[in-house]
Amino acid sequence: MAASLLIEDVDAAYGAVRALDGVSLKVAPGETVALLGTNGNGKTTLMRCILGLLKPTRGRIAATIEGTTTELVGRSPEEIVDLGIAIVPEGRRLFPRLSVEENLLLGAYRRSARAAIPRNLEFCYDAFPRLKERRSQPVGSMSGGEQQMVALGRAVMCAPKILLVDEPSVGLAPILVARTIEKIAELKEKLGLTVLMAEQNFHQAIRIADRGYVLVHGRVEFQGDSPAALGDSDLVRKFYLGL
Amino acid sequence: MDPDLALLLNGIVSGLLLGGLYAAAAAGLSVSFGMLDVVNIAHPAFMVLGSLIVALLWAATGLDPLLLSILLTPAFWALGAAIYVAYHHFFERRGDEAIQGLAFFFGVMFIIEVGLVLAIGPEQHFVDAAYANTTWRLGEIDLPLRMLVPALVSFAAIGGLVLFLRRTFTGRAIAAVAQDREALRLLAIDPVRIKRLAFGISIAMAALAGGALVVVQPVDAWSGHVFIGRVFAVVIMGGLSSLGGCVLAALAFGVVENVTASFYGPSWSPAVAFGCLLLVLAVRPQGFFGRTA
Repeated sequence: MAASLLIEDVDAAYGAVRALDGVSLKVAPGETVALLGTNGNGKTTLMRCILGLLKPTRGRIAATIEGTTTELVGRSPEEIVDLGIAIVPEGRRLFPRLSVEENLLLGAYRRSARAAIPRNLEFCYDAFPRLKERRSQPVGSMSGGEQQMVALGRAVMCAPKILLVDEPSVGLAPILVARTIEKIAELKEKLGLTVLMAEQNFHQAIRIADRGYVLVHGRVEFQGDSPAALGDSDLVRKFYLGL
Repeated sequence: MDPDLALLLNGIVSGLLLGGLYAAAAAGLSVSFGMLDVVNIAHPAFMVLGSLIVALLWAATGLDPLLLSILLTPAFWALGAAIYVAYHHFFERRGDEAIQGLAFFFGVMFIIEVGLVLAIGPEQHFVDAAYANTTWRLGEIDLPLRMLVPALVSFAAIGGLVLFLRRTFTGRAIAAVAQDREALRLLAIDPVRIKRLAFGISIAMAALAGGALVVVQPVDAWSGHVFIGRVFAVVIMGGLSSLGGCVLAALAFGVVENVTASFYGPSWSPAVAFGCLLLVLAVRPQGFFGRTA
Protein backbone atom coordinates (compact mmCIF):
# COMPACT_ATOMS: atom_id res chain seq x y z
CA MET A 1 0.00 0.00 0.00
CA ALA A 2 1.44 3.34 -1.00
CA ALA A 3 2.03 6.06 1.55
CA SER A 4 0.84 9.64 1.80
CA LEU A 5 1.90 12.88 3.41
CA LEU A 6 -0.25 15.65 4.84
CA ILE A 7 0.88 19.14 5.81
CA GLU A 8 -1.67 21.45 7.42
CA ASP A 9 -1.23 25.12 8.14
CA VAL A 10 2.45 24.96 9.04
CA ASP A 11 4.34 28.02 10.27
CA ALA A 12 8.07 27.96 10.81
CA ALA A 13 10.71 30.51 11.66
CA TYR A 14 14.44 30.86 12.07
CA GLY A 15 14.61 32.99 15.19
CA ALA A 16 12.58 36.10 14.36
CA VAL A 17 12.65 35.45 10.62
CA ARG A 18 9.45 33.87 9.40
CA ALA A 19 10.18 31.18 6.82
CA LEU A 20 6.83 29.41 6.36
CA ASP A 21 3.42 31.00 6.70
CA GLY A 22 0.40 28.72 6.86
CA VAL A 23 1.61 26.14 4.36
CA SER A 24 -0.81 23.32 3.62
CA LEU A 25 -0.21 20.61 1.10
CA LYS A 26 -0.87 16.99 0.50
CA VAL A 27 0.85 14.18 -1.34
CA ALA A 28 -1.59 11.37 -2.11
CA PRO A 29 -0.50 7.71 -2.32
CA GLY A 30 1.66 7.10 -5.37
CA GLU A 31 1.78 10.73 -6.45
CA THR A 32 4.78 12.78 -7.49
CA VAL A 33 4.27 16.31 -6.24
CA ALA A 34 6.58 19.16 -7.16
CA LEU A 35 7.35 21.92 -4.70
CA LEU A 36 8.28 24.86 -6.87
CA GLY A 37 9.73 28.24 -6.16
CA THR A 38 13.01 30.09 -6.47
CA ASN A 39 15.70 30.09 -3.82
CA GLY A 40 14.81 31.42 -0.39
CA ASN A 41 11.06 30.89 -0.63
CA GLY A 42 10.87 28.09 1.92
CA LYS A 43 11.18 24.83 0.01
CA THR A 44 14.14 23.52 1.99
CA THR A 45 12.60 24.85 5.22
CA LEU A 46 9.50 22.78 4.58
CA MET A 47 11.68 19.71 3.95
CA ARG A 48 13.48 20.39 7.24
CA CYS A 49 10.14 20.59 9.04
CA ILE A 50 8.92 17.31 7.58
CA LEU A 51 12.15 15.61 8.68
CA GLY A 52 12.12 17.01 12.20
CA LEU A 53 15.26 19.09 11.71
CA LEU A 54 13.25 22.26 12.36
CA LYS A 55 10.22 22.35 14.64
CA PRO A 56 7.24 24.19 13.16
CA THR A 57 5.82 26.88 15.41
CA ARG A 58 2.30 25.88 14.39
CA GLY A 59 0.51 23.32 12.26
CA ARG A 60 0.40 19.62 11.66
CA ILE A 61 2.51 17.23 9.62
CA ALA A 62 1.42 13.62 9.32
CA ALA A 63 2.51 10.62 7.29
CA THR A 64 0.32 7.62 6.57
CA ILE A 65 2.43 4.56 5.88
CA GLU A 66 0.96 1.08 5.52
CA GLY A 67 -2.33 2.23 6.96
CA THR A 68 -0.83 3.83 10.08
CA THR A 69 -0.92 7.60 10.44
CA THR A 70 1.94 9.13 12.43
CA GLU A 71 2.22 12.71 13.60
CA LEU A 72 5.70 13.92 12.68
CA VAL A 73 5.93 17.21 14.59
CA GLY A 74 7.97 16.68 17.76
CA ARG A 75 9.71 13.56 16.52
CA SER A 76 13.44 13.31 15.93
CA PRO A 77 14.83 12.99 12.39
CA GLU A 78 16.01 9.47 13.24
CA GLU A 79 12.47 8.39 14.17
CA ILE A 80 10.93 10.04 11.12
CA VAL A 81 13.38 8.47 8.67
CA ASP A 82 12.87 5.13 10.40
CA LEU A 83 9.15 5.31 9.52
CA GLY A 84 10.16 4.92 5.88
CA ILE A 85 10.66 8.52 4.79
CA ALA A 86 13.95 8.92 2.93
CA ILE A 87 15.50 12.13 1.69
CA VAL A 88 17.90 12.98 -1.07
CA PRO A 89 19.19 16.14 0.60
CA GLU A 90 20.21 19.35 -1.08
CA GLY A 91 23.94 19.22 -1.79
CA ARG A 92 23.67 15.41 -1.55
CA ARG A 93 25.37 15.19 1.88
CA LEU A 94 27.40 12.08 1.08
CA PHE A 95 30.39 10.84 3.11
CA PRO A 96 33.24 11.82 0.79
CA ARG A 97 35.96 9.68 2.35
CA LEU A 98 33.88 6.50 2.27
CA SER A 99 33.47 4.34 -0.81
CA VAL A 100 30.36 4.20 -2.99
CA GLU A 101 29.29 0.91 -1.46
CA GLU A 102 29.94 2.08 2.11
CA ASN A 103 27.75 5.13 1.43
CA LEU A 104 25.01 2.93 -0.01
CA LEU A 105 25.15 0.50 2.90
CA LEU A 106 24.89 3.35 5.41
CA GLY A 107 21.53 4.09 3.80
CA ALA A 108 20.35 0.66 4.94
CA TYR A 109 21.28 1.21 8.60
CA ARG A 110 17.73 1.07 9.90
CA ARG A 111 16.74 -2.43 10.92
CA SER A 112 13.79 -2.80 8.60
CA ALA A 113 16.00 -1.90 5.62
CA ARG A 114 18.72 -4.43 6.39
CA ALA A 115 16.76 -7.48 5.30
CA ALA A 116 16.28 -5.93 1.87
CA ILE A 117 19.97 -5.07 1.32
CA PRO A 118 20.81 -7.68 -1.34
CA ARG A 119 17.72 -6.80 -3.37
CA ASN A 120 18.09 -3.04 -3.02
CA LEU A 121 21.82 -3.08 -3.72
CA GLU A 122 21.18 -5.04 -6.88
CA PHE A 123 18.43 -2.59 -7.77
CA CYS A 124 20.84 0.35 -7.31
CA TYR A 125 23.53 -1.24 -9.42
CA ASP A 126 20.97 -2.08 -12.12
CA ALA A 127 19.64 1.46 -12.13
CA PHE A 128 23.13 2.99 -12.01
CA PRO A 129 25.65 0.63 -13.64
CA ARG A 130 28.34 3.26 -13.20
CA LEU A 131 28.12 2.85 -9.43
CA LYS A 132 28.81 -0.85 -9.72
CA GLU A 133 32.00 -0.15 -11.66
CA ARG A 134 33.11 2.33 -9.03
CA ARG A 135 31.79 0.64 -5.92
CA SER A 136 35.09 0.83 -4.01
CA GLN A 137 36.04 4.36 -5.08
CA PRO A 138 35.81 7.16 -2.47
CA VAL A 139 32.73 9.23 -3.25
CA GLY A 140 34.65 12.50 -2.84
CA SER A 141 36.65 11.73 -5.97
CA MET A 142 33.57 11.34 -8.20
CA SER A 143 31.83 13.83 -10.48
CA GLY A 144 28.70 15.70 -9.42
CA GLY A 145 26.47 13.55 -11.61
CA GLU A 146 27.89 10.35 -10.18
CA GLN A 147 27.51 11.69 -6.66
CA GLN A 148 23.86 12.45 -7.37
CA MET A 149 23.45 8.79 -8.38
CA VAL A 150 24.99 7.71 -5.07
CA ALA A 151 22.63 10.03 -3.19
CA LEU A 152 19.60 8.56 -4.99
CA GLY A 153 20.95 5.06 -4.45
CA ARG A 154 21.49 5.69 -0.75
CA ALA A 155 17.86 6.79 -0.42
CA VAL A 156 16.75 3.60 -2.20
CA MET A 157 18.79 1.56 0.30
CA CYS A 158 16.66 3.11 3.08
CA ALA A 159 13.76 1.05 1.68
CA PRO A 160 11.47 4.09 1.86
CA LYS A 161 7.75 4.44 1.18
CA ILE A 162 7.94 8.21 0.87
CA LEU A 163 10.85 9.84 -0.95
CA LEU A 164 11.70 13.49 -0.41
CA VAL A 165 14.03 15.04 -2.95
CA ASP A 166 15.50 18.47 -2.24
CA GLU A 167 16.87 20.40 -5.22
CA PRO A 168 18.22 17.48 -7.23
CA SER A 169 19.35 19.77 -10.05
CA VAL A 170 21.68 22.00 -8.02
CA GLY A 171 25.23 21.91 -9.28
CA LEU A 172 24.54 19.63 -12.23
CA ALA A 173 24.99 20.22 -15.96
CA PRO A 174 21.65 20.51 -17.82
CA ILE A 175 21.91 17.09 -19.45
CA LEU A 176 22.54 15.51 -16.05
CA VAL A 177 19.57 17.36 -14.57
CA ALA A 178 17.30 15.80 -17.20
CA ARG A 179 18.75 12.36 -16.52
CA THR A 180 18.46 12.72 -12.73
CA ILE A 181 14.82 13.76 -13.03
CA GLU A 182 14.08 10.76 -15.25
CA LYS A 183 15.80 8.47 -12.76
CA ILE A 184 13.62 9.78 -9.95
CA ALA A 185 10.53 8.95 -12.03
CA GLU A 186 11.93 5.50 -12.78
CA LEU A 187 12.71 4.75 -9.10
CA LYS A 188 9.26 5.96 -8.10
CA GLU A 189 7.59 3.69 -10.66
CA LYS A 190 9.63 0.59 -9.86
CA LEU A 191 9.54 0.92 -6.07
CA GLY A 192 5.97 2.23 -5.75
CA LEU A 193 7.07 5.39 -3.95
CA THR A 194 5.25 8.56 -3.06
CA VAL A 195 7.46 11.51 -4.00
CA LEU A 196 7.69 15.12 -2.88
CA MET A 197 10.32 16.98 -4.84
CA ALA A 198 11.51 20.53 -4.22
CA GLU A 199 12.97 21.99 -7.36
CA GLN A 200 13.76 25.36 -8.89
CA ASN A 201 14.06 24.02 -12.38
CA PHE A 202 10.41 24.33 -13.35
CA HIS A 203 10.56 22.72 -16.80
CA GLN A 204 12.39 19.67 -15.53
CA ALA A 205 10.21 19.28 -12.44
CA ILE A 206 6.90 19.30 -14.31
CA ARG A 207 8.13 16.60 -16.69
CA ILE A 208 7.59 14.02 -13.95
CA ALA A 209 5.22 15.73 -11.50
CA ASP A 210 1.52 14.86 -11.28
CA ARG A 211 0.78 18.11 -9.48
CA GLY A 212 2.63 21.01 -7.97
CA TYR A 213 2.63 23.83 -5.45
CA VAL A 214 4.42 27.15 -5.87
CA LEU A 215 5.93 28.65 -2.72
CA VAL A 216 6.47 32.41 -2.66
CA HIS A 217 7.85 34.03 0.51
CA GLY A 218 6.88 31.01 2.60
CA ARG A 219 3.26 30.85 1.38
CA VAL A 220 1.61 28.51 -1.09
CA GLU A 221 0.66 31.07 -3.74
CA PHE A 222 -0.55 28.66 -6.35
CA GLN A 223 -1.40 25.03 -6.69
CA GLY A 224 -1.71 23.34 -10.03
CA ASP A 225 -3.57 20.07 -10.40
CA SER A 226 -1.69 19.17 -13.55
CA PRO A 227 1.61 20.11 -15.14
CA ALA A 228 -0.33 22.03 -17.78
CA ALA A 229 -2.22 24.06 -15.16
CA LEU A 230 1.08 25.01 -13.57
CA GLY A 231 2.56 26.06 -16.89
CA ASP A 232 -0.51 28.18 -17.70
CA SER A 233 -0.62 29.99 -14.38
CA ASP A 234 -0.08 33.74 -14.58
CA LEU A 235 1.83 33.66 -11.31
CA VAL A 236 4.24 31.05 -12.56
CA ARG A 237 4.72 32.86 -15.84
CA LYS A 238 5.30 36.18 -14.18
CA PHE A 239 7.33 35.45 -11.07
CA TYR A 240 8.94 32.25 -11.94
CA LEU A 241 9.58 31.98 -15.62
CA GLY A 242 9.99 35.73 -16.11
CA LEU A 243 7.55 35.77 -19.05
CA MET B 1 78.14 -10.31 10.06
CA ASP B 2 79.53 -6.79 10.11
CA PRO B 3 78.85 -5.49 13.65
CA ASP B 4 77.44 -2.21 12.33
CA LEU B 5 75.04 -4.07 10.07
CA ALA B 6 73.98 -6.30 12.94
CA LEU B 7 73.43 -3.22 15.08
CA LEU B 8 71.35 -1.63 12.32
CA LEU B 9 69.25 -4.75 11.76
CA ASN B 10 68.66 -5.15 15.47
CA GLY B 11 67.79 -1.47 15.71
CA ILE B 12 65.23 -1.84 12.92
CA VAL B 13 63.66 -5.00 14.35
CA SER B 14 63.40 -3.72 17.89
CA GLY B 15 62.15 -0.42 16.43
CA LEU B 16 59.36 -2.34 14.69
CA LEU B 17 58.50 -4.00 17.99
CA LEU B 18 58.51 -0.63 19.78
CA GLY B 19 56.34 0.62 16.89
CA GLY B 20 53.86 -2.14 17.77
CA LEU B 21 53.51 -0.58 21.21
CA TYR B 22 53.11 2.89 19.69
CA ALA B 23 50.49 1.51 17.29
CA ALA B 24 48.51 0.10 20.20
CA ALA B 25 48.74 3.42 22.03
CA ALA B 26 47.80 5.47 18.94
CA ALA B 27 45.03 3.28 17.44
CA GLY B 28 42.47 4.35 20.04
CA LEU B 29 43.41 7.98 19.52
CA SER B 30 43.02 7.50 15.79
CA VAL B 31 39.38 6.67 16.51
CA SER B 32 38.70 9.50 18.98
CA PHE B 33 40.86 12.28 17.50
CA GLY B 34 40.91 11.11 13.88
CA MET B 35 37.32 9.95 13.38
CA LEU B 36 35.30 11.67 16.12
CA ASP B 37 37.15 15.01 16.28
CA VAL B 38 37.51 14.60 20.04
CA VAL B 39 40.96 15.84 21.08
CA ASN B 40 41.46 13.34 23.88
CA ILE B 41 44.77 14.47 25.30
CA ALA B 42 44.12 12.13 28.23
CA HIS B 43 44.38 9.05 26.01
CA PRO B 44 47.86 8.06 27.30
CA ALA B 45 46.61 8.59 30.87
CA PHE B 46 43.86 6.03 30.21
CA MET B 47 46.54 3.71 28.89
CA VAL B 48 48.53 4.13 32.12
CA LEU B 49 45.36 3.56 34.12
CA GLY B 50 45.01 0.29 32.22
CA SER B 51 48.66 -0.61 32.90
CA LEU B 52 48.38 -0.07 36.64
CA ILE B 53 45.08 -1.91 37.00
CA VAL B 54 46.62 -4.80 35.04
CA ALA B 55 49.66 -4.71 37.34
CA LEU B 56 47.45 -4.86 40.45
CA LEU B 57 45.29 -7.64 39.03
CA TRP B 58 48.40 -9.52 37.98
CA ALA B 59 49.82 -9.27 41.50
CA ALA B 60 46.52 -10.56 42.87
CA THR B 61 45.79 -13.36 40.40
CA GLY B 62 48.99 -14.18 38.54
CA LEU B 63 47.03 -14.34 35.24
CA ASP B 64 48.75 -13.27 32.02
CA PRO B 65 48.84 -9.45 31.87
CA LEU B 66 47.70 -9.25 28.25
CA LEU B 67 44.80 -11.56 29.00
CA LEU B 68 43.94 -9.32 31.96
CA SER B 69 43.97 -6.26 29.72
CA ILE B 70 41.58 -7.98 27.31
CA LEU B 71 39.30 -8.77 30.25
CA LEU B 72 39.45 -5.08 31.24
CA THR B 73 38.20 -3.81 27.87
CA PRO B 74 34.44 -3.96 28.65
CA ALA B 75 34.93 -1.87 31.81
CA PHE B 76 37.06 0.64 29.90
CA TRP B 77 34.49 0.73 27.13
CA ALA B 78 31.84 1.69 29.68
CA LEU B 79 34.17 4.28 31.24
CA GLY B 80 34.82 5.82 27.82
CA ALA B 81 31.11 5.90 26.97
CA ALA B 82 30.37 7.63 30.30
CA ILE B 83 33.11 10.22 29.74
CA TYR B 84 31.79 10.93 26.26
CA VAL B 85 28.30 11.47 27.65
CA ALA B 86 29.70 14.09 30.05
CA TYR B 87 31.86 15.68 27.34
CA HIS B 88 28.95 15.82 24.93
CA HIS B 89 26.54 17.21 27.51
CA PHE B 90 28.80 19.98 28.78
CA PHE B 91 30.84 20.95 25.72
CA GLU B 92 30.15 19.39 22.34
CA ARG B 93 26.39 19.98 22.42
CA ARG B 94 26.99 23.70 22.92
CA GLY B 95 29.70 23.92 20.29
CA ASP B 96 32.36 24.61 22.94
CA GLU B 97 34.51 21.66 22.10
CA ALA B 98 37.59 23.34 20.63
CA ILE B 99 39.35 24.95 23.61
CA GLN B 100 37.11 24.06 26.52
CA GLY B 101 36.94 20.43 25.45
CA LEU B 102 40.72 20.33 25.35
CA ALA B 103 40.81 21.77 28.86
CA PHE B 104 38.28 19.13 29.94
CA PHE B 105 40.50 16.28 28.77
CA PHE B 106 43.56 17.97 30.27
CA GLY B 107 41.68 17.93 33.56
CA VAL B 108 40.66 14.30 33.10
CA MET B 109 44.36 13.49 32.60
CA PHE B 110 45.35 15.11 35.89
CA ILE B 111 42.47 13.52 37.74
CA ILE B 112 43.55 10.08 36.53
CA GLU B 113 47.19 10.70 37.46
CA VAL B 114 46.53 12.17 40.88
CA GLY B 115 43.87 9.56 41.54
CA LEU B 116 46.38 6.82 40.75
CA VAL B 117 49.00 8.33 43.06
CA LEU B 118 46.46 8.62 45.89
CA ALA B 119 45.08 5.14 45.33
CA ILE B 120 48.21 3.10 44.73
CA GLY B 121 51.17 5.41 45.27
CA PRO B 122 53.78 7.06 43.09
CA GLU B 123 56.10 4.07 42.69
CA GLN B 124 56.68 2.05 39.55
CA HIS B 125 54.66 -1.09 39.01
CA PHE B 126 55.65 -4.00 36.84
CA VAL B 127 54.45 -7.42 35.78
CA ASP B 128 56.37 -10.56 34.97
CA ALA B 129 54.79 -12.33 32.04
CA ALA B 130 55.71 -16.02 31.63
CA TYR B 131 57.55 -15.25 28.39
CA ALA B 132 59.23 -12.05 29.58
CA ASN B 133 62.70 -13.51 29.87
CA THR B 134 62.69 -15.51 26.64
CA THR B 135 64.39 -14.16 23.53
CA TRP B 136 64.19 -15.80 20.12
CA ARG B 137 67.22 -15.44 17.90
CA LEU B 138 67.19 -15.27 14.10
CA GLY B 139 70.88 -15.29 13.24
CA GLU B 140 72.18 -12.16 14.90
CA ILE B 141 68.76 -10.58 15.30
CA ASP B 142 67.15 -10.69 18.73
CA LEU B 143 63.41 -11.08 19.12
CA PRO B 144 62.61 -10.57 22.81
CA LEU B 145 59.15 -12.00 23.49
CA ARG B 146 58.64 -9.25 26.07
CA MET B 147 58.34 -6.92 23.04
CA LEU B 148 57.10 -9.35 20.39
CA VAL B 149 54.01 -10.69 22.18
CA PRO B 150 52.52 -7.26 23.04
CA ALA B 151 53.23 -6.10 19.47
CA LEU B 152 51.43 -9.11 17.99
CA VAL B 153 48.48 -8.70 20.36
CA SER B 154 48.16 -5.03 19.42
CA PHE B 155 48.33 -5.77 15.69
CA ALA B 156 45.61 -8.39 16.14
CA ALA B 157 43.45 -5.90 18.03
CA ILE B 158 43.96 -3.22 15.38
CA GLY B 159 43.18 -5.75 12.64
CA GLY B 160 39.96 -6.62 14.43
CA LEU B 161 39.09 -2.94 14.72
CA VAL B 162 39.70 -2.38 10.99
CA LEU B 163 37.36 -5.26 10.14
CA PHE B 164 34.74 -3.91 12.53
CA LEU B 165 34.89 -0.46 10.92
CA ARG B 166 34.66 -1.82 7.37
CA ARG B 167 32.22 -4.67 7.77
CA THR B 168 29.60 -3.63 10.30
CA PHE B 169 26.84 -1.03 10.16
CA THR B 170 28.04 0.60 13.36
CA GLY B 171 31.63 0.61 12.12
CA ARG B 172 30.73 2.37 8.88
CA ALA B 173 28.65 4.89 10.82
CA ILE B 174 31.70 5.58 13.04
CA ALA B 175 33.80 6.22 9.96
CA ALA B 176 31.09 8.59 8.67
CA VAL B 177 30.22 10.51 11.83
CA ALA B 178 32.98 13.13 11.68
CA GLN B 179 32.31 13.75 7.99
CA ASP B 180 28.67 14.83 8.30
CA ARG B 181 26.72 14.37 11.53
CA GLU B 182 23.40 15.69 10.24
CA ALA B 183 23.51 13.47 7.18
CA LEU B 184 23.71 10.48 9.53
CA ARG B 185 20.50 11.58 11.25
CA LEU B 186 18.84 11.60 7.83
CA LEU B 187 19.69 7.91 7.57
CA ALA B 188 17.99 7.17 10.92
CA ILE B 189 21.36 6.95 12.70
CA ASP B 190 21.80 8.83 15.99
CA PRO B 191 25.26 10.46 15.77
CA VAL B 192 25.55 10.92 19.53
CA ARG B 193 24.96 7.22 20.10
CA ILE B 194 27.54 6.36 17.45
CA LYS B 195 30.13 8.68 18.98
CA ARG B 196 29.46 7.29 22.45
CA LEU B 197 30.03 3.77 21.18
CA ALA B 198 33.15 4.78 19.29
CA PHE B 199 34.65 6.73 22.16
CA GLY B 200 34.11 3.67 24.36
CA ILE B 201 35.99 1.61 21.78
CA SER B 202 38.87 4.08 21.76
CA ILE B 203 39.20 3.88 25.57
CA ALA B 204 38.94 0.07 25.42
CA MET B 205 41.88 0.18 23.01
CA ALA B 206 43.74 2.25 25.64
CA ALA B 207 43.25 -0.59 28.14
CA LEU B 208 44.83 -3.06 25.69
CA ALA B 209 47.68 -0.64 25.04
CA GLY B 210 48.13 -0.33 28.81
CA GLY B 211 48.48 -4.10 29.09
CA ALA B 212 51.09 -4.02 26.34
CA LEU B 213 52.96 -1.14 27.97
CA VAL B 214 53.27 -2.75 31.38
CA VAL B 215 54.60 -5.96 29.83
CA VAL B 216 57.27 -3.90 28.04
CA GLN B 217 58.36 -1.62 30.88
CA PRO B 218 57.64 -0.70 34.51
CA VAL B 219 54.89 1.96 34.72
CA ASP B 220 54.13 4.77 37.17
CA ALA B 221 51.27 7.27 37.22
CA TRP B 222 53.11 9.69 34.92
CA SER B 223 54.35 7.22 32.32
CA GLY B 224 51.78 8.52 29.87
CA HIS B 225 53.49 11.89 29.48
CA VAL B 226 56.19 10.68 27.10
CA PHE B 227 53.44 9.19 24.92
CA ILE B 228 51.31 12.30 24.46
CA GLY B 229 53.47 13.87 21.77
CA ARG B 230 54.24 10.53 20.18
CA VAL B 231 50.67 9.25 19.82
CA PHE B 232 49.41 12.53 18.39
CA ALA B 233 52.40 12.59 16.01
CA VAL B 234 51.67 9.01 14.91
CA VAL B 235 47.96 9.69 14.35
CA ILE B 236 48.64 12.85 12.37
CA MET B 237 51.43 11.24 10.35
CA GLY B 238 49.14 8.29 9.57
CA GLY B 239 46.46 10.54 8.13
CA LEU B 240 44.13 11.01 11.14
CA SER B 241 41.34 8.55 10.44
CA SER B 242 43.31 5.79 8.75
CA LEU B 243 44.22 2.89 11.03
CA GLY B 244 46.51 1.43 8.35
CA GLY B 245 48.32 4.76 8.17
CA CYS B 246 48.47 4.86 11.96
CA VAL B 247 50.21 1.45 12.12
CA LEU B 248 52.64 2.40 9.36
CA ALA B 249 53.45 5.72 11.06
CA ALA B 250 53.89 3.99 14.44
CA LEU B 251 56.33 1.48 12.94
CA ALA B 252 58.26 4.22 11.14
CA PHE B 253 58.39 6.29 14.32
CA GLY B 254 59.62 3.31 16.36
CA VAL B 255 62.32 2.42 13.82
CA VAL B 256 63.60 5.99 13.45
CA GLU B 257 63.73 6.44 17.22
CA ASN B 258 65.42 3.15 17.85
CA VAL B 259 67.99 3.33 15.07
CA THR B 260 68.89 6.88 16.11
CA ALA B 261 69.25 5.71 19.71
CA SER B 262 71.49 2.81 18.66
CA PHE B 263 73.88 4.95 16.63
CA TYR B 264 73.80 8.42 18.17
CA GLY B 265 72.41 7.93 21.65
CA PRO B 266 68.85 8.03 23.01
CA SER B 267 68.82 11.79 23.63
CA TRP B 268 68.73 12.34 19.87
CA SER B 269 65.87 9.99 19.14
CA PRO B 270 62.86 12.21 19.88
CA ALA B 271 64.43 15.12 17.99
CA VAL B 272 65.09 13.00 14.91
CA ALA B 273 61.70 11.28 15.09
CA PHE B 274 59.75 14.53 15.39
CA GLY B 275 61.98 16.04 12.68
CA CYS B 276 60.83 13.21 10.42
CA LEU B 277 57.22 14.03 11.32
CA LEU B 278 57.75 17.62 10.14
CA LEU B 279 59.34 16.36 6.93
CA VAL B 280 56.45 13.99 6.24
CA LEU B 281 53.92 16.75 6.83
CA ALA B 282 55.88 19.14 4.59
CA VAL B 283 55.74 16.65 1.71
CA ARG B 284 52.39 15.04 2.46
CA PRO B 285 50.27 17.34 4.64
CA GLN B 286 47.44 14.80 4.68
CA GLY B 287 49.73 12.08 6.20
CA PHE B 288 50.58 8.68 4.74
CA PHE B 289 47.08 7.42 4.03
CA GLY B 290 45.14 10.61 4.53
CA ARG B 291 42.67 11.41 1.80
CA THR B 292 42.39 14.98 0.66
CA ALA B 293 38.68 14.86 -0.13
